[in-house]
Amino acid sequence: MPLEINLKVNGKDEKVIVKDNELLLDVLRDKLQLKSVKASCWRGECGLCTVLLNGAPVKSCLILAAEVEGGEVTTVEGLSKDGVLSPIQKAFVENGALQCGFCTPAFVLLSHHLLAINPDMSEEEIREGISGLICRCGAYKQIVSAIKAAAPSYKASSP
Amino acid sequence: MSFGSPYLTLPEFQYIRPKSLQEILELLDRHGEEARILAGGVALISFMKERLVAPTYVIDIKALKGFNRIEHTPGKGLSIGPTTTMTEIAAYEPVKQRYGALHDAASLVGDITLRNRATLVGNICEALPWNDGLASLTLFDAQLTLKSLQSERLLRVEEFIKGIMETDLRPDEVITSIRIPEPPENSRSIYVKTTSRSEFSIANIGALVSNPKTPKKRLVRLAYAAAAPTPIRVPEAEEVFRRPGKLSDLMDEAMPIIIEKVAPMTDMHASSEYRTHLIDILTRKVLKELMEGK
Repeated sequence: MPLEINLKVNGKDEKVIVKDNELLLDVLRDKLQLKSVKASCWRGECGLCTVLLNGAPVKSCLILAAEVEGGEVTTVEGLSKDGVLSPIQKAFVENGALQCGFCTPAFVLLSHHLLAINPDMSEEEIREGISGLICRCGAYKQIVSAIKAAAPSYKASSP
Repeated sequence: MSFGSPYLTLPEFQYIRPKSLQEILELLDRHGEEARILAGGVALISFMKERLVAPTYVIDIKALKGFNRIEHTPGKGLSIGPTTTMTEIAAYEPVKQRYGALHDAASLVGDITLRNRATLVGNICEALPWNDGLASLTLFDAQLTLKSLQSERLLRVEEFIKGIMETDLRPDEVITSIRIPEPPENSRSIYVKTTSRSEFSIANIGALVSNPKTPKKRLVRLAYAAAAPTPIRVPEAEEVFRRPGKLSDLMDEAMPIIIEKVAPMTDMHASSEYRTHLIDILTRKVLKELMEGK
């Protein structure tokens, strides 16, 4: 039985018709054309389908679209403003924190969240924080550097 | 948790989002055998993809007000709702201060993206022997409240877990809370597992100690999971620590009792010998830390 769900995606109100057994991942990619959300392992192991749901990072392959009724979703498309990259996106570019780029949207979103809740993370805390995401190219060292490099701009913006 | 099945899509089902407990209980009463409760979905959605379960009805209980509560009442203890997430438990100040082993366990589940969805009740219902909720809740004598239209039962976690992925949950029941009594006065507790990030942890230990320096008043609790099909306490070994003596001697005396009670098994993840070895060194490590502060 198709359901109509209402959600806010990257600040925009959306109404989507979904099936009971449709994943949030599939709705974001196929119905809302947000291809930064990667479908990779489909079983909650690689973390590349990570999105922010009501501000918190979650794996969208383990969530039904129907569960998200009334919720707010942010994908990496929602981080830049007017074509200007956000500090964490800039830091990824400047630190070469990617090779193929497939995992980058997920890492950028997760890093953004980790820095927003604690801009003073130690290297160990950063590594623990990103432990649920897999970068098959092995750019972890540069990803950690990018997170460290972006930290000051999160300190400046926190009260 | 993956069993390597080729299915990556979900089976067909009807999604239902009740607004009241009465509605949940009526749905379970009518459809119990064909229904599954959805909280965080970390286990259920994975299991459905693997076709380990294929319910006709998926009952999402997240719309219920108060189901995501976490509340500490001094003198009475802690109450955790069925949709409270690991992130919420790990961040709750009274848990950090009084229930150290539970804080450790909630912080060690998967990674942040899973902890934001995974619930402690779901962790118990999934009933995989290495799940982090098991040893930590057993350590604190936690009780589950199970409700159906006809009945209400209270079960200790170690009674609820019947085996690997087997629980005492009846098809018409829903868990409405985990109640955890106050830990003993002046106690400190920790929880460790063999590898902090492994899906298949092979020995999980919760330990609690109060009054470590005074043998007469000293109280030691030890709870084990992953080491056996169901989580267990080891009261006979805990008694050993009420006697005076050097900690290393007491541990030498308690260890064979623990190993016999836990009866570590051989499976595809580890041999019985290896599990025995890990239980030995981890038990000594946590007790040293709690008794001597190292």
